[in-house]
Amino acid sequence: MSEWAHIFIRAIIFITALFFMTKILGKKQISEISFFEYVSGITIGSIAGEVIMGLESNIGHGILAIGIFGIITVLMDYLSLKSKNVRDFIEGKGTILIKEGKILEDNLKNEKYTTDELSSMLRTKNVFNFADVEFAVLEPTGDLSVLLKRENRPLTPKDLNMNMPKDKVPQTVIMDGNIMNDPLAASGKTRDWLQNELEKIGVTLENVFYGQVDSYGELHVDIYDDKLKQPTPQTRPLLMAMLKKCQADLELFELETQNQDAKKMYKKNAQKLDQAIQKLEPYLNT
Amino acid sequence: MTVISNVKQCMSTIKGIEAQLSILALNSQDDEAQRVFHDMMNVMNEVKKDLQVRVNEILFEERQYKQS
Repeated sequence: MSEWAHIFIRAIIFITALFFMTKILGKKQISEISFFEYVSGITIGSIAGEVIMGLESNIGHGILAIGIFGIITVLMDYLSLKSKNVRDFIEGKGTILIKEGKILEDNLKNEKYTTDELSSMLRTKNVFNFADVEFAVLEPTGDLSVLLKRENRPLTPKDLNMNMPKDKVPQTVIMDGNIMNDPLAASGKTRDWLQNELEKIGVTLENVFYGQVDSYGELHVDIYDDKLKQPTPQTRPLLMAMLKKCQADLELFELETQNQDAKKMYKKNAQKLDQAIQKLEPYLNT
Repeated sequence: MTVISNVKQCMSTIKGIEAQLSILALNSQDDEAQRVFHDMMNVMNEVKKDLQVRVNEILFEERQYKQS
């Protein structure tokens, strides 16, 4: 066999071996590498490269070495799952860099980060003023996690005491002009319903690039022709407007009528509608 | 527009709201939203009934007025 053929066969064998190895090691290897996994990943790669290119070395030896590295990595992962101490030892602990708005110089020195690097890391988190930071931790992966002071955090509906409806995941029912059957069933709709909705907004199925059903059972579509103006579902804002109109009407009737009983009745119902408007507001305002 | 036609119009709008709420209650995926829509649908039903009573009263009064 020529050397070319050798290299070809070895490359195929090692690609398969490495493929299965990465499958076993899992996604963690890619996203949050601990120092140990980082080293083992590099070593496995260089062993594979060495054996593929260096024709004198034995394939079996190479596979054995890769196997050992792989097994030990998996073993370490398993142990660190089981025990907190092992985990701290292998993956390392986070280091607190800022606490209660004060920079901890000693920890910064221990991690060998300069002030410039710290401020640059803060800037990547959109923090330009270190006084805004309540707490910052250097994660074992090298990222900086930042907790802003209460007054500097983004405003959430909770801060405003707003009652927000829960959102379900929208189901994608049309992709590239094809109906997706499983999401359609998950959203509790049929093909007939979909055809109906498409007719209502006046587009054909072939023209729809992307279609989603939201948590209120309304269909939102994106069509191929970007210039064409497409209607958005209006039912809920319209319903809100109708409610408000009725409420105003009832208040008007209350003022107009001379009959005391009727006055009371109109007042009661106007209040009922008012309460209904308040309860429905989070659901009807899109 | 007479008073009675105004009240009738308001009542039919309430009916429309009730129907729309019922559609929303059936179509919503979230249990909480379904419950709120359903509750409000019932409230609309009560309002509708009160208005119906009032419409009948006005009709009765008008008839008396015409006769006298």
